[in-house]
Parts: sequence; C-alpha cells; structure tokens
Amino acid sequence: MKRKLRGRGVAASWYGIARTATIDRAGAWAELDDGGTAKIVTGVTEIGEGILTVLAQVAAEELGIRPEDVTIGDNDTARSPEAAHAGATRQTYMIGNSVALAAREARGKLFAEIADHWEVSAEQLRAFNGEIWVEDTNKRMTMGEAVARCKARGVVPVGAASFTAHGTGLDPVDGSGSPWQAYVFGTQVAEVEVDTVTGEVQVLGIWAAHDVGRVINPRGVEGQIEGGVAQGLGQALMEEWQTDKGHPVTHGFAKYILPTSLDIPEITSILVEDRDPKSPLGAKGIGEPALVPTAPAIMNAIYDAIGVRMKSLPATPEKVLAALAAKEGAAA
Amino acid sequence: MLYCDTYLQPATLREALELLRVAPEGSRVVAGATDLLPWARDGRGGDVQVPHLIDITRVDGFSGWRLEGERVRLNAGTVYQEFLEDPDLVRLLPNMPQCAAWFADDQIRRQATLIGNIVNASPAGDGLPPMLTLNATIEVARLDGDRVQTRSVPVEAFVTGPGRTLLQPGEIATAVTCDAVEGYGGSFQKVGLRRSLVISAVCCAALVKTDAKGRLVEDARLALGGVGPRPIRLRDIEEMLRGKELTRDLIAKVSLLPARHVASRSRVEYRRAVVQGFVGSAIEDALAALCVCGTHSTAKEAVDA
Amino acid sequence: MPDTLTHPTVTAVTLDLTINGRRQRVQADPGARLLDVLRDGLMLTGAKEGCGAGECGTCSVFVDGKLIKSCLMPAAKAQGAEVETVEGLARTGDLTAVQKAFHKTGASQCGYCIPGMVMAATATLRDNPDADIEEIKERMGGNICRCTGYSKIFEAVEIARDVIAGRLPHTALDPEAVGNSFIGHNTRRLDAPSKVTGRLRYAGDMVMPGMLHMQVLRSPHAHAKIVSIDTTEAEAYPGVHCVLTCDDVPGEDGFGVFVEDQPVMARDKVRHVGEAVAAVAADSVRTAREAMALIRVEYDELPGLFDPEDALKSGAPVIHDYAADNVVKHIPVRKGDIAAGFSAADVILEESFSTQQVEHAYLEPEAGLAYVDHDGVVTVVSPSQNITHHRHMLSHIIAKPINKVRFIMSPVGGGFGGKEDMIYQGMLALAAMKTRRPVKLVFTREESFVASAKRHPSRTRCRMGLTKAGRITAVEFEMLSDGGAYGMSSEGVMRKAAILSCGPYEIENLKVDTKVVYTNNTPSGAFRTFGGMQAQFATESMMDMAAERLGMDPFEIRRVNMMRAGSLTHTQQKLASAAIDRVLDAAEGASGWEKGAPSVRGESRGDLDGPGTRRPCTLGARVRETATDRFRP
Repeated sequence: MKRKLRGRGVAASWYGIARTATIDRAGAWAELDDGGTAKIVTGVTEIGEGILTVLAQVAAEELGIRPEDVTIGDNDTARSPEAAHAGATRQTYMIGNSVALAAREARGKLFAEIADHWEVSAEQLRAFNGEIWVEDTNKRMTMGEAVARCKARGVVPVGAASFTAHGTGLDPVDGSGSPWQAYVFGTQVAEVEVDTVTGEVQVLGIWAAHDVGRVINPRGVEGQIEGGVAQGLGQALMEEWQTDKGHPVTHGFAKYILPTSLDIPEITSILVEDRDPKSPLGAKGIGEPALVPTAPAIMNAIYDAIGVRMKSLPATPEKVLAALAAKEGAAA
Repeated sequence: MLYCDTYLQPATLREALELLRVAPEGSRVVAGATDLLPWARDGRGGDVQVPHLIDITRVDGFSGWRLEGERVRLNAGTVYQEFLEDPDLVRLLPNMPQCAAWFADDQIRRQATLIGNIVNASPAGDGLPPMLTLNATIEVARLDGDRVQTRSVPVEAFVTGPGRTLLQPGEIATAVTCDAVEGYGGSFQKVGLRRSLVISAVCCAALVKTDAKGRLVEDARLALGGVGPRPIRLRDIEEMLRGKELTRDLIAKVSLLPARHVASRSRVEYRRAVVQGFVGSAIEDALAALCVCGTHSTAKEAVDA
Repeated sequence: MPDTLTHPTVTAVTLDLTINGRRQRVQADPGARLLDVLRDGLMLTGAKEGCGAGECGTCSVFVDGKLIKSCLMPAAKAQGAEVETVEGLARTGDLTAVQKAFHKTGASQCGYCIPGMVMAATATLRDNPDADIEEIKERMGGNICRCTGYSKIFEAVEIARDVIAGRLPHTALDPEAVGNSFIGHNTRRLDAPSKVTGRLRYAGDMVMPGMLHMQVLRSPHAHAKIVSIDTTEAEAYPGVHCVLTCDDVPGEDGFGVFVEDQPVMARDKVRHVGEAVAAVAADSVRTAREAMALIRVEYDELPGLFDPEDALKSGAPVIHDYAADNVVKHIPVRKGDIAAGFSAADVILEESFSTQQVEHAYLEPEAGLAYVDHDGVVTVVSPSQNITHHRHMLSHIIAKPINKVRFIMSPVGGGFGGKEDMIYQGMLALAAMKTRRPVKLVFTREESFVASAKRHPSRTRCRMGLTKAGRITAVEFEMLSDGGAYGMSSEGVMRKAAILSCGPYEIENLKVDTKVVYTNNTPSGAFRTFGGMQAQFATESMMDMAAERLGMDPFEIRRVNMMRAGSLTHTQQKLASAAIDRVLDAAEGASGWEKGAPSVRGESRGDLDGPGTRRPCTLGARVRETATDRFRP
C-alpha cells in the first residue's frame, strides 16, 4: 500500500434560522442623526460573526448613508430594546430585520419632511451613500443637510421596530410543528490525504456551498463558512474533551488539541441565495449551518481513500490506524 | 500560578553554582522557562511557590556553539530555533532542522533550550532521539569546595526515565557535545494530533551515510522517542544496515524489529504500528535529504525501484 | 501602580524596560510574567491571556526583536530589554500594512487572537519578507484562532507581504468601491481597527477604581454531599473583602436555559468536578487564591454516573431530585408508518455512530466585572451571549426588580454558544452587593474548560430502508446524549437534533427519538449547531453507505431524496422552498466532482489534487529552502 492515499467525500445538511419551535422576536431603535449619521440601538453586540458591520450595512442601505456613518449601541439591558441572545443563527435574521424596519421608520419621517420641502411625493425620493435626491430631477442634497432640514421643521427622524419569526412548538406526541419560518441548506465536499503509516488525516480541500438567503457581506459569510469548516475539522479529527470518572484529562490547550494554521484546507465557498420571503431583508443566516456537513464529508472522504468507515468521532490517527488494521486483518 | 521570592540572573557559572548551593529547598534553575510556567497551572503543578529562580541565560559563555574537531559543542543557551536557522548547524547536524521544525512553534523555539529539553527528560522530548543518533554527551558542572568541577555523561545514559536524569543536586548542565556529521542525510519523523505545538505520540530520528557511489550504507543511526520511559537508540537495526545495500526488502525487514521496544504505558498497539512505518520512512527521508545535495542518489533509486 | 502586581509578602523587583520605544520603570513581583507587567502594570492590554501556557499565542510580543509568548517569560528575564507590543506597531491613528490587510480581508472575527496574530504575521514578514504560503503557515503555527478558519488571515499576510515588497500597489489595501447598494458589498468590518491594534477592551481588560478580584473554589469531586463549609479563616485573611457561598443568595437560587436547575454556588451537593462551591473577593488575585486555600469544605462522596446508559438503569444514582429517572428531556418525532416503510424497502442498513464531547475553546476565557451603581442598580459587564435572559435569572436570584438589574454585553472573544450559560455572573453580582466595590473575575483557561458547558457527546443508532432506486422508505433514529451535571441547553439541543435528524430529505415514514440524561460529567450545553451536527453526521454517513450498497453516486442518492418546495419536513411542516438542489449542484460543480459510487475509489479517481486544494503539510519549508539554495549547482 502506498503511504499516502487520497479520497473525496460529500455531505449535505439543513438548518433552521433563529430560535427553535417558539416565537422569536427582537427590537431595535434607529435615529437619523446630525451630519447625516445614524444611531442604531440594539440589545446585542459582536461575538465575532460580524453583526455590527451587517447592521451598519443594513442601516446605511435603508437610511441612504454610509456604513461608517452608523454608530451602534448599546448592548445593555438598561439602555436598549430587547434583542435576546447572540446565538441560534439569529443575528442577521432577527436583529438585521428589526434594524431594517426601525431604519425604514426613521427614514419615512425624514422623507416626509424632505418631500414636503421639495414639494414632491415621498415615493419620488431616493437616498444612498450620503445623498438624497428626487428621481429624474436636479433636486439633491447631502443627508447631513436633509437631517438639518428635517430637524428645522421640528422633527427628529427616529424609528423603532420589532421583528417576529413565527415558529411553533412541537406536538409532545408526534413532534409535528413548524419550528422555523426560514430554512437553509448546505453541501460540502472534502478532499483528504490519509497517511497509512501514522493514521494522520490531512484535509486538503473543502468546497462549501451554502444557501444564506441573501448575502449582506460576502467576505463575512465566507469567514463564517471558513470558521465553521475549521471547527468541523477539529471535531472530525482531533478535538475531544476527555474526563476520567468526571475528572478532566485534557486540562488545557496542550492536551485539548485545536486546529492550527497547518491543519486548514483550502476552502472554496459558494454562496447560494434563496431569498427568504417572510422578512424585509430576504437574508437568512450562516453561523451554525456552516459546520454541520464538514465532519461527515471528511469521514466519507476517509472511506473513499482507505476503505475505512469512521463511525466514532474524532477520527484520530490512532483510531484510523486501528480501523485500517482491523480491515486488513479481516481481509487476510 | 507561579510565585517566586527572588529571581536571580547570575553572570558567571561560578556565581550560578554558588547561588544554587545556598538556594532554599524547592528553588529551580531555568533557562528558557518555557516548561516552568505551563507546569505551574491547575491540572499540573497548581499554584507553585519557588523560593529562588536561577536564570542561567545570562551566564557568560552559555550562548553560542563551536566546532571542536569532530564534535559540536552546544552551550547551555542554545535554543531550538538555531537548529533551524543557523546554516552551519543545519549542515553539521542534519536531522536537527526537521526536529526543530516539529518542536513547539517559532516563538517557543526562540526561548526553549536543547539542554532544558534534555534535563526535563520528557518521554516525548523531541530533541532526545536526534541527540542519541548524534552520540551526544551532556556536560554538567558543580562546585567542589570553591572549584568548579565538570563531568560529562552520554545523553543516552543521562536520561533515566520520565523526568528523571543523573543530574545531581547542586549541578547545572552547561553544554551538550555531539558528533558533527556533515555529509550524512538526516531525517526526523513525528506524529501527534496535529502538526504545530503538539506532543509526540511517536518520533524517530535518523542519520544515514552512504559510500561515495551512494550504494552502500557506511553508517546508519536511528533512535525513537515517545515509545517508553526514555528514548532509545536502535543499534540492532543500525548493525543490520551497515555495509549493506539498501533495498525495499531490507528496509521492510528491519522495520519489523523496533515494535518490541515499545514500552509505553498507553497506546502501545498504535505506537508499535507507527514505529514500524517510521523506521522505513526515516531511512528513506534521510536518503532523500542526501539526494537534495545532488551527490548521492543511487541508494535512493534502489529504494524507489 | 495597581496592587495586583506586587504582593505584601515579597520584595518587588524594579524592571527597566523600553516599551514601544519609551523607557519605563516598573515594579513587579519576582514571579510575575512579562504578560502581567504589560497588562496590569502598563495597561497595555493588547496582549491577551488565552491560555497562560504558551499554547495559543494571544500574548505574543517582541522582546529584543524576537517574537515570544509573554505568558512564558518571567518579567525579570526581560530586564533591560526592548519590548514591542501590538500597541507600538503603528503610529497613533495609523495602521501598518499588515493591520490594513487584516482589515481589508476580514481577517478578524471575535478579535481576541488578533493582536497576537498581527504580531505573528509581522514577525513572519520581518524574518522573511518573501515567505511563501507554506512558510507563513508554519511561522504562524503557534497562534490559534477559533473563529476564522485562518483563511482570511493567510490572505491578509500574503497581501501585506506583496504590498511591502512592492509587488502590489498600496491601493491593494484600500476598501472596495461601492456600487449601487451596501447589501452584498464587502464593507470592511467596522470593529477591525480596534481589534488589529489591540485597542478593543474585553471584559478581562477592564478596570475600575477600587476594584476587587474574585477567585472561585471549585469542587474536586464529581458527586458529593457538602457536609459543611467553614470560611472563617478565609474571611479573616488580610486583604479579603468577602467570601461567598450559596448562603449568600438572597432570592430564589437557580439558573439554566430551559430548566433552572443550577445554583449560583453548589447547594447541599456538588454534581461535577469544577462546580463552583465558594468565592473570595480580595485586593488581588493572589490574595484571593491564598484565602481560597483556607476554606474548609467537608464532602461526603456519593456514587457517580459517568455513562449516559448507566444513567437510565434502574437503581442508578439520582443526580437531581426532580428527575428521578435522570432524564433531562426526550423528544419524539413521528411521521407515517415505519413498519410499512421498512417492508417496502429493498435494502435496510443499520449502524451506530458516536460523537465526542467538545469544548468551545473561544480564545477569550470567561471574564466579568460587576458593580452596584449610584442608583442601586446591580450591573454585570460580561461577554454574555444572552443578557436578556441573564437579567431575568439574576433578578430572581438577588430578589430585585428587573430595572434594578443591568447586564452589559462586553465584546465577546468568541462564544459559539458557550457563553449562553450564566455560570459566574451571579457570584460577581453577589460579591459587588456584599462589598459595595467593583469586583472582577477572569477565568483561567483550565477553569474555563472545567466549568463551562461542552458540545453534547452522542450515541446514535440509525436504521434506514431504501428502494433499489435509492429512495428512502423509512428511518428509525435514536440518539442518546450525555447532558452532564446540569440541564443548561440540553432540552433545546435534543429538540433541534430531533427536528433535523434525518437530514434535508423528504422521508415519508420515520420514528425519531432523542434523549438526554444527567450524569456527573462536565455539563453539556449550547454549541454551534445545537445537536444538528451530531445527528446529521450519522445521517450523512448512512447516505454514503447506502449509496455504496446501491452503486449510486453520493450526489445522486441525495438528489433522489432531497426536500423540494412543498415537501413536508420530518415535523410535517410544509416548505415553501428548499435550496438543497442548488447547493448540491454548486458543490458538485465547484469541486469538479467525478461521478461514481462511493466504493473506495480514491486511488483511481481523476478529480484529485486540482484547484481548491492545498499542498499537504510536510513541515520544514525553511529547511527545504536552505538546503536547496546551498546545494543548487
């Protein structure tokens, strides 16, 4: 047998967006502020997924300003509306949509004043990237000027909104129910190289196709997929919290092994957009679903390479080699 | 957490030995300190009180290395990164660069000394097997009255078990001396759960020298780590290879031998399986390293044939 | 000088250091690490403590031009040295090319590893401005990132390398121009500048005047009755401001995501190793630790449960009185008639799968700061993933109305579900109330591991019937999970596992049962995918095994069964659309998949080693280069 053998495997997956089998809700406040800036207030902050940037993009798009003009606060139960938890792949879907709705309300107030000022209908107004104008006319001003004009007319352009996702509970007997209003799907292909001397598996490539509804920030989505793949790879091949009669064996990072820069495959992300019809943005989510198919895709690839079906994670070098020996023993 | 009352940085060996002589019980000599701080953590040493820490990295004469005839003298301050980045050491100690590449990471290699790795005598200490193949000896110093006395011990004998060595109280290791083996092909095999910052499950070091035609093995040296309480030199295999023409059959034959040396307390079957493959790979990679030089290729071709 | 650096019983050493080009004199304990001096003494909190053992690289700094891990360096070792931290890389208000590239590519996510990662990237390019991707990966191998999968980091380092070398114009670091919408635009992350410069302060970086430090005494036993706790000596220890036990809880004790079965500190018994038993707030971390060692707890050990199957046996020890059968939750899903489905099958496969317990390993260990404000509002600042729920629970624990409880969500240095449980905020709030001082707690890595929830380990048995054409006729799916000592998110995890169990396939007949039990293992809780991964690992393995048996391409068998618009899910929800067809096509196309049954054809397939793959890592990129250079004819 050659020392290094390669193979490929595929796995598909699906996932639900936002809290499961219950109603989910989130609130947000928006204010178009002096200088054509904006304040967006929500109850959560960044956990690394890029939500602040997504919210700034959404608010900028809705308000006609630029993402860098948006200030986001306050992540504070005493100062901001309820947004509930930063999890369940719900940030873009729940908070993103509530910010979009709050921003639309604030924009509506500003548009009403500016339309009146220009003596046009609000439907004729467009705003983008710091400017507001009337379609097919020379009527144009900066958003800073527009906010000043609006305030001079006695109106502070603010908005508040709540967004709801209508999940229902499961029947206690047959489990029937509609746990989510938005679903996403994914498929990943893995290519691996197995070292038949050591049992070590190196993942060389992952092609990850995921439906995210609508892409707000392509790099942000890719980053979530890449991070999900890395965690899936860790779960597949090396990570294991071990205890002995409840006492930890893997106390720290010297024993609890995480993927490093040397373990990461080339990752090709393909973003598929099946827009969500039940929300203003059409976006769904990617945080959790990204890692679901990685481990099974890798296990299927290991099988393709060496004919060993790894049914117990993680597929450590020791387990892979033992399975290979068992297979050869059976064949002999 | 680590607590210490006094941190000392002696400038000379004599001063270091004097400080060690009067240091309260529980005091420690440190070089890179990269093993010390991770030890003082929950799950290992816990909160540790060390009265005196005697840091020897500023001792005069402890940095650098020099060639002494057929031997290389590596002073106590020699860190792993030097085996990877000093072109002369790369040439003289050809299985150390790959060992260093596998050792911890770039940042730790800049602090961690070879001598500390030997003195700590971890069964998984990556530096030990290549040092065995290089016939390394360790020099230790102590105070005899007012005189600084040194003695040298082969590394193979110095390490007596996991965390155990022949270092006596009051002694400080001052240098490692090993063969300069320019012209040998060197290799280092290791497997852990990943490829950076990882403890060896098994590692294997090799040095191979062929005749001028690259046909016959003039010298072969092999050692294993991670397979028992201490690293082991595979002299039986070396003997079988010496003077022979390398063939796949010969490599396959010698590969069967080292499994019986595996005396680990855990994962014995796995380690036995891996060493069998590692011995062959270590020899082949050492030959391949010779081929990179462009001078010796016949033996490699014989293996590949 | 903060009191955390010097301890009353030891003589401080005076260190003269050049920090980011400026001479500084600091006093420190002789045992202090360089990291402590930078963070606590000089308030340079860009370097983080991710592990304290040299294993993660969040603390990387340059000492005399060499990048090192400052958690492994005694501060005294650096006497006289020049130290460069992330704060010193660029002039105030500017970013280096490396930092700009990280900003451009989106290389920072939670950001906790990023100061160290920026330092490692900087060191890599200083050491070898022409390092190729293999060498970059090797040189950065000592810095762990848990969020990004490293890909955007590699991209950033390569861009920075080429800009510095002049191979790419400086404009390569500029933001992308926007077209007619910010939706779909690669807007650069707004938080990136604060992360690549180390400016962003996480909870563990925050200080308040008069702040005390908390340490937590944890259970050494997996299951034991607490006979007595004697805190007298600890209370009397100089520098101690309060010692807390469950007796200090004024309200209704108990927290949890679905069932509030966990006391703030162990009450009457401990249920897992590492459970909080008592806490000390003192002038310094060291004083708190010393006092903690003086708390006397008498335990009476109880038989423990360490295997979920044992938990279900009759006569098994009971972990929580309310659940005599040790079952936290059982979720059934039924659809159609599986007996009929299996009898219609041409082939039936049955297999068992298992997955392990996995740690979130966010680089930021848990940390928090609590205080009582001028209006008597009990405020907790922490990287909580659910401040809304936490304030509800804390309100009943401390018996105060909701508007007297305030949670502030500090920047989260990685969560992945692991920071949804309120495992330490209660203790902080109680200490702040008792001492009327701000109180801070920062977990060590080991503490984070032992005290926080993990991904549920699972055992799954799956039976699948299919026709010769590959159509699934029935699935029977049973999963047993180990929930560990407390309920946390177990119920929700089982629900999601059950709902998603059989994958994105329309299956007419199925019977799914997921069950989670209490044991005396480390609790399992919320973790990215919430049971979805464990369940679909089994299903997706089965799909390939079925494809091999039937001689079908793995994409084809999935297409035969996939959900479509109008399909009924396993819980009988009608789908308006299902993009599984498109993601299958996309993955197949992008990978250039060669069709064929999954019958160990790796050696013969022609689609390997193409675009989208990397070279296998062999280590020693530098050595190869040196050797090749030297011996090149």
